[in-house]
Amino acid sequence: MIESIISYGLAMGAAYALIAVAYNVMFSTSRVFSFTAGALGMLGGVCGALFIDRLGLPGVVGLLATLAFCAVVGVVTEFVAVRPVLRSLDQHLYVLSTLALCLMIQQFTAIEWSTVPQPFPQLIPVDLLGIRERFWMPVVACVLVVGGLELLYRHSMIGRAFLAIAEDNFAARALGLPERGLRVASYALAGAIGGLAGFASGGIMLAFFANVSPFNFYGFIPVALGSIGNNRGAIVAGIALGLFQQAANFLVGGVFSSVAVFSVFIVALLIVPQGLFGAPPARRV
Amino acid sequence: MPISGAEPLLLVAGLTAGYGKLRVLHGVDITIGRGELVAILGPNGAGKSTLLCTIAGLLSKQSGRMVFDGRDLAGLGAKDTVRLGIGHVIQDHRIFTHLSVQDNLLLAGYDLPRNAHLARIEEVYSLFPEIAAKRHQPGAALSGGQQQMLAVAQGVVRRPKLLMLDEPSAGLSPVLVDRVLAVATALRADGTSVLLVEQAVQKSLGFADRVYALAGGQIVLEAATSEPDLPQRLKRAYFGQDQAAP
Amino acid sequence: MSQVMLRDSANETPRQAPLRFVRKLAPFVGLFGLACLLPLTDNAYFGLIIGRAAVYWVLVSGLNLVVGFAGQIAIGWGVALLALGAYVTSVLTAGTAFAPVSPYLALAAAGVIGAIASVIIGLPALRLRAFYFAVTTIGFATIVTQIAMAWQSVTGGGIGVVGPTFGGVFSTTWGFYYFCLAAAALCTWLSANIGSSRFGRALLAIRDAEVAAEASGISKPVMLTLIFLFAGAVGGVSGGLFASLQTYITPDAFTIDLSILFFIAILIGGRGSIIGPLFSTVLLTLLPEVAAPLAAWATFLYAALLLAIVLLVPGGFANLFDFKSRKPLETGRIIRPNEEILPGLLSAAKARGPIDIENVVLSFGGVRAIDGLSLAITPGEVHGLIGPNGSGKTTVLNAISGYYRPDSGTVRLHGAALPSGAPQTRAGIGIARTFQNPRIVGEASVLANVMIGGTVLGKSTFIETVLSLGRYRREERELRERAMLALAAVGLERLADVRTDRLQHSELRFLEIARALMLDPAFLLLDEPAAGLAGDEIQLLGALITAISRTGVGVLLIEHHTDLVFDICEQVTVLNLGRTLAKGTPAEIMAHQDVIDAYLGG
Repeated sequence: MIESIISYGLAMGAAYALIAVAYNVMFSTSRVFSFTAGALGMLGGVCGALFIDRLGLPGVVGLLATLAFCAVVGVVTEFVAVRPVLRSLDQHLYVLSTLALCLMIQQFTAIEWSTVPQPFPQLIPVDLLGIRERFWMPVVACVLVVGGLELLYRHSMIGRAFLAIAEDNFAARALGLPERGLRVASYALAGAIGGLAGFASGGIMLAFFANVSPFNFYGFIPVALGSIGNNRGAIVAGIALGLFQQAANFLVGGVFSSVAVFSVFIVALLIVPQGLFGAPPARRV
Repeated sequence: MPISGAEPLLLVAGLTAGYGKLRVLHGVDITIGRGELVAILGPNGAGKSTLLCTIAGLLSKQSGRMVFDGRDLAGLGAKDTVRLGIGHVIQDHRIFTHLSVQDNLLLAGYDLPRNAHLARIEEVYSLFPEIAAKRHQPGAALSGGQQQMLAVAQGVVRRPKLLMLDEPSAGLSPVLVDRVLAVATALRADGTSVLLVEQAVQKSLGFADRVYALAGGQIVLEAATSEPDLPQRLKRAYFGQDQAAP
Repeated sequence: MSQVMLRDSANETPRQAPLRFVRKLAPFVGLFGLACLLPLTDNAYFGLIIGRAAVYWVLVSGLNLVVGFAGQIAIGWGVALLALGAYVTSVLTAGTAFAPVSPYLALAAAGVIGAIASVIIGLPALRLRAFYFAVTTIGFATIVTQIAMAWQSVTGGGIGVVGPTFGGVFSTTWGFYYFCLAAAALCTWLSANIGSSRFGRALLAIRDAEVAAEASGISKPVMLTLIFLFAGAVGGVSGGLFASLQTYITPDAFTIDLSILFFIAILIGGRGSIIGPLFSTVLLTLLPEVAAPLAAWATFLYAALLLAIVLLVPGGFANLFDFKSRKPLETGRIIRPNEEILPGLLSAAKARGPIDIENVVLSFGGVRAIDGLSLAITPGEVHGLIGPNGSGKTTVLNAISGYYRPDSGTVRLHGAALPSGAPQTRAGIGIARTFQNPRIVGEASVLANVMIGGTVLGKSTFIETVLSLGRYRREERELRERAMLALAAVGLERLADVRTDRLQHSELRFLEIARALMLDPAFLLLDEPAAGLAGDEIQLLGALITAISRTGVGVLLIEHHTDLVFDICEQVTVLNLGRTLAKGTPAEIMAHQDVIDAYLGG
């Protein structure tokens, strides 16, 4: 049982953490949380099954096509649901616009793809350290994304520009940084990361339109508990969430595990609304 | 009324701008000649920062005309004005504290060719030796004065034709104020025009060629700093008993 | 002359008032009249659909106050309450948990339990950001259905449970149909009563101008608790009716899509409207039924509609049909304050002593924003507070208003210390204020905005308001008259019925003063009232402030326009970097060398 808890917990935790990173990447350039993060996770699984199983593409091509498609969905999110409401951030219209887009994606998938879970193809029938693919893949994806983001933020111009915009949007614009272009780029990046989360966890979550809600909900918990914009906090909180959820699953049963997760989440939020890993540094202005 | 007879570098005529319904600038006219150091003075709330932001394209104008170096600035954003050669150092030295000093300067020339860019940064370091020593430290590690130096340095990296400094002396010790103003003077000597918004009036008067006083969103006074009765006229313009004075 | 002006411009003649009332009532009567005639067709299928629309509306009428009025994005709330109400009623009547009870008693229990659950779901809104709150309400919705699924012995799990049947005349299809219609009509009346009362206006203020709400003495926790209780009660009842209408309920009847439907109905209908959401609830319930091929795409269409609404008409269709607000306003309007009215509005000599600020020190993150400030605001005098950028002027005002707790020093009102950290208590003790950026409810009328300022004058209870009892109606009339008087005093009475977001900036400044005067304040704190005003308007403002202080009000004036300050203030304090630089009469200040240096630089 312990083995199951750990293997499922780590895999799901890594997937949630990746969705949380997608939330964060979008938030950093726009100060907007987008419900489409969950839709991207769902699309990752569905696209993987579509491209590889239905269309017969090789695994690597299928993965790249999935990431590209999800990146496009990310860009569409920025154009359709984020940019038009940025002017009125204080009215929280983004909550509704991104929710609407997310539901449209979900319903479209339900009708055009399938309303029942479809199998996700096995890509590399190799056990890593004796662990099956569906369990190691999310963890590997998570490690790759975290490493890749660190490289991007430290060593590339665009990564530095992301950090600059996240810290002080006005100062970044005053310096002449192409704020709009960078925002679109960050949404594309978030799209690919969200898609990867769904693709990598496809072996567990399957290709199922209704995965949107669990991805949205469990992907947001690490954002909130790990402190907004803090990717490391999100990874730790994501993994912890995965393990806790699976432990509760095995100990008190499936239904009450979500009750347990939710109760812990809301109590934690009410006690520390800024998250467990400290607030981002206070802005000077 | 530019003092120099030649075509001015920046011409602003009848500019109105503001935030939503609130109109802050009510028809502002200023000109800046090439190689001129012009100071804009005025009480807070007068619209000084709004004026700089509108010129820089961070805020859209409502009406009026802005011509820079022969080009109409209508519809241009900050990204474009920076490329045309307008450097804008905003208030409160808002540098990026999570990034290193070097990265802060790299971002200031986001789309410049890499090698020329690095050479420019070295030149800027020579202007500001105090931050050159900390180039690999995060911005948060700098003192307030050093952060202000870095902010000015960011404005200089692209070798702008016009450098706009928004209260660079705020919160700095008198020694540092002199340093910042000395840099501005040095740049002017290289042919850069400087538009300085300041509250340290006496200091600015010592450095600038010309001053404008902005009050209530309008220019209430324009004078060369060499004019003798300037402090009295400024006082009248500020306290408003005699707004009709020329 | 003032009386004449008042009468013809604003107060309706006795003949107009009922006409307006009838015009307002007509769409409601029309809609319910049509619904009452439906049984004549004897089409049971349509009876079911319209009955369902009525049941949905019972819930939406309450949710509308939460979402459309108070602006809380409680996305999952609707389906959580519907499910809870349905299960409570069904389980109690079926007797799977306790001995079976009468369906009416069960319905009442659903109302009570719904009200309690609603507060539990809703109150995190006081502490969480909008998106967080939205997510937690969705979480609650999921939890309710999951518990229904898991608690098999009571709820029947996935198999479900039989809904209640109401006996007697309500046991027939059409009998129950009328029962639902009556419930819907009753809820319409109740929610409309709240919406048009001081509670409704307070909710709008919380939504669009939270700090102004606090300054007017509105407590957000109290308001949200009341409104979540009401909405939860009707939501729970709606669930019970829903269960009876469906005859059988299972957890999968309560998907999040249903919640979205409720939510969209409110947004399409228009925030702050009652009739709009009523119409769109009916339309959205009918839509998938009349266009059967669309049924599969229903959720997709709802979502697309939601997106379109948010992007294109954030105010909802109620705004689209608001033809009155299309008519161009008179241009070149001039504000004409009428100081003669002020004595009728402000009772003389109510302040027994000054507001005394003594040695207040306030720092933020180690920086001293105020460093040992002392000043007194004396009744009947205007005290000017000037100073360069960042000198701490607004911080002083916020300390008096109770937003900040001084590190040391005291703020006293005739000797008693003012509690800090409780800005909503200031209105009650006669301290009114305005804001640097006008804080108003743009979608509400000018009159409604001014009435918000008089919220603390209302003494009728929430229950009296909901039932529109005599005391409430009398108070409302008095409040309206007083607001008209305040508007006349500042010179805006001609704009009383205009949507506030159509006003010019300068008019908003005077509107804020009118709102502050509603309190009959002993003290008035003005934060840069002249910012953005033209020269002649500043003159009018100066005369108005002087006249207000003449009635015995102590005024604190924070301003950049030093000419105005020197013109009308008895005393002036000059702040620089949080310290008092100079203090005295305008003449003394103008001659003060330190002041000149601070303004002209050292």
